[in-house]
Amino acid sequence: MLMATVSCKINGKDQTLEVDPQMPLLWAIRDVARLKGTKYGCGVAQCGACVLHLNGEAVRSCVTRVTRAEGQKVVTIEGLSENNDHPLQVAWQEIDVPQCGYCHSGQIMSAAVLLRENPNPTDQDIDRAMGGNICRCGTYPRIRKAIHRAAEMLRSGGKRNGTDL
Amino acid sequence: MNGGNKRYTGNRFWLTACTLVFGLGLLVAMAPDFTGGKKPRELTPDDNPVIKKDSAASIKAFASVYKVLMSPRCMNCHPSGDVPLQGDDSHLHIMQPTRGKDGKGISAMKCANCHQPANTPGLHTPPGNPNWHLPPADMKMVFQGKTPRQLARQLVDPEQNGHKDLRKLLEHVNDTLVIAGWHPGEGRTTPPLPYAEFKKAWITWIENGAYAPKK
Amino acid sequence: MGGAMLSLGFYVPSAGKEATIVKTTEAEGFGVELNAWIHIDTSGKVTIFSHRAEMGQGVYQAIPQIIAEELEVNLDEVNIVFAKGDNKKYGNQVTGGSSSVRTTYKNLLKLSATAREMLMEAAANRWKVSRAECYAESGHVFHKPSKRKYHYGELVLDASKLQAPEQVTLKKRSEYKLIGKPLRRQDTRMKTNGTAIFGLDKEIPGMLYAVVERNPRLRGVVKSVDDTDALKVPGVKRVVKVRMGVFSTYREGVAVVADSAWQAMQGRKALRVTWDDTGFEHQNTEQIFRRQADELKNNEGLSFKTQGDVNAILNGASDKIDVVYQTPYQQHACMEPLNCVAHWQGDKVEIWGPIQAPDWVQDYISKEMNLPRENVIVNMTFLGGGFGRKAFMDYPHEAVVISKVIGAPVQVVWTREDDMTQGPYRPGISYRCEGVVTNGEISAFKVKMAGQNNDHWRGGPKDKPNRSTSEGLLKPYFDSIKNLSIQDIPFETPIPTMWWRSVYASTNGFAYESFLDELAVAAGKDPLEFRRSYLKDERAQKLIDRMQEVSGWKKRKKGDGFGVAITECFNSTVGQVVKVSKQPSGGVKIDRVWAVMDCGWYVNPDTIKAQVEGSIVMALGAATMHEIRFEDGLTVQKNFYAYPMPRIYDIPPIEVYIMENDADAGGVGEPGLPAFAPALTNAIFDLTGKRIRKLPFDLNTVSS
Repeated sequence: MLMATVSCKINGKDQTLEVDPQMPLLWAIRDVARLKGTKYGCGVAQCGACVLHLNGEAVRSCVTRVTRAEGQKVVTIEGLSENNDHPLQVAWQEIDVPQCGYCHSGQIMSAAVLLRENPNPTDQDIDRAMGGNICRCGTYPRIRKAIHRAAEMLRSGGKRNGTDL
Repeated sequence: MNGGNKRYTGNRFWLTACTLVFGLGLLVAMAPDFTGGKKPRELTPDDNPVIKKDSAASIKAFASVYKVLMSPRCMNCHPSGDVPLQGDDSHLHIMQPTRGKDGKGISAMKCANCHQPANTPGLHTPPGNPNWHLPPADMKMVFQGKTPRQLARQLVDPEQNGHKDLRKLLEHVNDTLVIAGWHPGEGRTTPPLPYAEFKKAWITWIENGAYAPKK
Repeated sequence: MGGAMLSLGFYVPSAGKEATIVKTTEAEGFGVELNAWIHIDTSGKVTIFSHRAEMGQGVYQAIPQIIAEELEVNLDEVNIVFAKGDNKKYGNQVTGGSSSVRTTYKNLLKLSATAREMLMEAAANRWKVSRAECYAESGHVFHKPSKRKYHYGELVLDASKLQAPEQVTLKKRSEYKLIGKPLRRQDTRMKTNGTAIFGLDKEIPGMLYAVVERNPRLRGVVKSVDDTDALKVPGVKRVVKVRMGVFSTYREGVAVVADSAWQAMQGRKALRVTWDDTGFEHQNTEQIFRRQADELKNNEGLSFKTQGDVNAILNGASDKIDVVYQTPYQQHACMEPLNCVAHWQGDKVEIWGPIQAPDWVQDYISKEMNLPRENVIVNMTFLGGGFGRKAFMDYPHEAVVISKVIGAPVQVVWTREDDMTQGPYRPGISYRCEGVVTNGEISAFKVKMAGQNNDHWRGGPKDKPNRSTSEGLLKPYFDSIKNLSIQDIPFETPIPTMWWRSVYASTNGFAYESFLDELAVAAGKDPLEFRRSYLKDERAQKLIDRMQEVSGWKKRKKGDGFGVAITECFNSTVGQVVKVSKQPSGGVKIDRVWAVMDCGWYVNPDTIKAQVEGSIVMALGAATMHEIRFEDGLTVQKNFYAYPMPRIYDIPPIEVYIMENDADAGGVGEPGLPAFAPALTNAIFDLTGKRIRKLPFDLNTVSS
């Protein structure tokens, strides 16, 4: 089998990954680029634990081949902000959203795309954007609250989405 | 064929008009305007692929077309609401992605976030296509709940079918997203007819006049 | 931890006795092994060991919040470390039964107050002043008259030479500065930027990855393996047969070991394994519930509790209520699938993983692998959910076995499909409930349960009723219902079962609280007032008052779609009111849930609210969305597409209220779950007249 060389920008840094071209981006990010914040949850695009940004879109890295990242920009939870201070991260901390915390990398990465496209989301907008992310601990009421809170911060001049999209 | 300087403004008119003027090479705008006053587009001689008028053959072929279009592989992405359907039982797509303006989803729930350029290996994984989408919000092309007559008339109506004339509609059968229905990935049935038969029925339906069944 | 420091721990001389606080340096003198729970070093840094697993329930916050209160330090100056598995040092470490706070808080308060007293004594001695003139605050001891102060770090050396006082005065609840406050969790920041290390994120040098093909019928053995193609998959290093313990039975599998998890998964797909699935029954769900129905019809079972003469009243009644409730098998579905790292090093093994019961793992591996207990080192990572599934030794055992065979550290990674299809599951249970109402009162109350007993898997006696037969039912009912009988019919299948959040209360609660509702209807009474008349206990009465107050219960009209249920679980009582309405498109919508929790003394109200919210969401899934089914011995549901989970758009508004009282602390992580399903179905009965007796059901297709 031929190994592929995938060159992409991960969290702002140019990287070259030597990988099996069939490998999903999730495992390349976790086991090759060794960024463990992006999680494996289901492997079939059902749960959203593996959501990261590929050119700014909230792709499910478990079903996305690593080769799709060639020449593209990848942002993971580790790269969403430099100091854990993206408005969503701040809101998540203020409201103490996570319980076990496992799904929240994906939750936050999904929410970041929502806020970029819709800085003033309604409850229905949140339902429509976040339906792909499962939280077994049931933190949904707080996720909703935190997204509203982050939107409020953005509107009142808080830090814009810090990602290099 | 039916060349000449013709215009049409809706399928009912088009079918009526064709019946009247077929072979004359000239079409006079004489039917009511179904477009709500929008100026109809000028048609070119290549637009009309109808080679003979045979309502019986056309309607017969459409029965097969209908059977396929109403199967989960086709209907699931032509839902009556704004959330696609899923599975052989056509349940509401789990996680409820919505259509969005362009049919490609919204914000964190865009089709292409899960639906890759090709099928993902494994059971019940997202089927793939480089252009996976629903019909756009201004042209929903609903299949779900339509009778054969309603569906046929909707399909030939450029105001509802994505401004496709019959030529483009004919070619739509070659669209990779249509063909994707016959490569649905593990855990899904294929449409009730083989693709080749469907394609033949589709062409037969259109080439014989794209008639709509009575019901 | 080197250098001078004050480090304290405690040990409990015998069950039921109060803990003795000792310095770790003195521990040997007591003949006990002791590890410090609190370390304070000369820089003043405070390190607290969390002996329990953090799986989302907030123990990582609760234990420091308790300790910082009496120690008088600021919470943000406290460093928290997960203790290793060792029940000789920490006592029971099994994070289950919602027990972390309720079983240790008194000792932790005493421990931290002792440390504070020693530091104050050291300061008073140095200043040569009376101890009474000093006070402690924010990691310092102050001398009130002279306004002098010492940082704790400056006192550590002196304090460590003092004797621990035998008696310390603990604060009153009204004096608390930290306890009882909704302080933010210490682990949240790690969980918003990907730095929290869960089991699956653990890496050690030289680590390989293993994925295991396990017998899909759970009990079969490997007949043959063809690994030719698997070994051709790039990155695949070894294929190894493994046998891992499942309680007292064993499960067989074939492990593919590779350079990365994904390569191991590819190798596994190329394996060809044939199984010997003889010697045990291949179950079907239909058949399991049919058997339970037959048992309930024909057998009395074992008496769990009998008072008065229930059978005579039932036999003589012409209008008895006689109904069966059914609850399905459920899977834990933690977001983090099972995984474990093991490094076998000849005479010892070190383990890292998302583990709820590190002490059990230590004992089990020691026994199974023939190693001295102290040579089994068990490290807890953060857990991506637990819910009972991770208090179990099969997956660490598997990792240890593989590491030993391949002679390298290894991480075993379970796929979602492995996690969902291998069990153990919450058992599916049927309940036959018989009752008679005379003159508006319960004259006979009988519940028979037929379902698997989790204790059987742990060597529990089969001739005794399940000790959890009445779990969920409030104890005052035993006093107020004179003719009562609770029976357990022993029931077995080859399917492994185990705890699932709130355990038997999660299924019993549905049966008991639905049945009480049916009795209230038969009595023609308001279902909440009906319960009140049987719950002659001050705390329960106050809970009901609060439920009525927050939900507007008294203003509602019959048929408005209000339902109620009250359940007890791990020494806490939770009452819930659910309001439903008809959807225009058919089916039923949940408008709101009000939950009132009485857990006695508590640490962090925000954690409690979060736990109750989460419990309700989990209960919603189990009641209306998913179940595990078996066909020919195989688990049908393999991933979330077949086991649909509650999602953000499914969640109704949830209001959580906490009762204030000084009763002993009860559990928090689980008690919010059991009341939800019956409160919901009781609400649906109120709205539609339809009584739902079988879970799960579909909210979208409920009709009148």
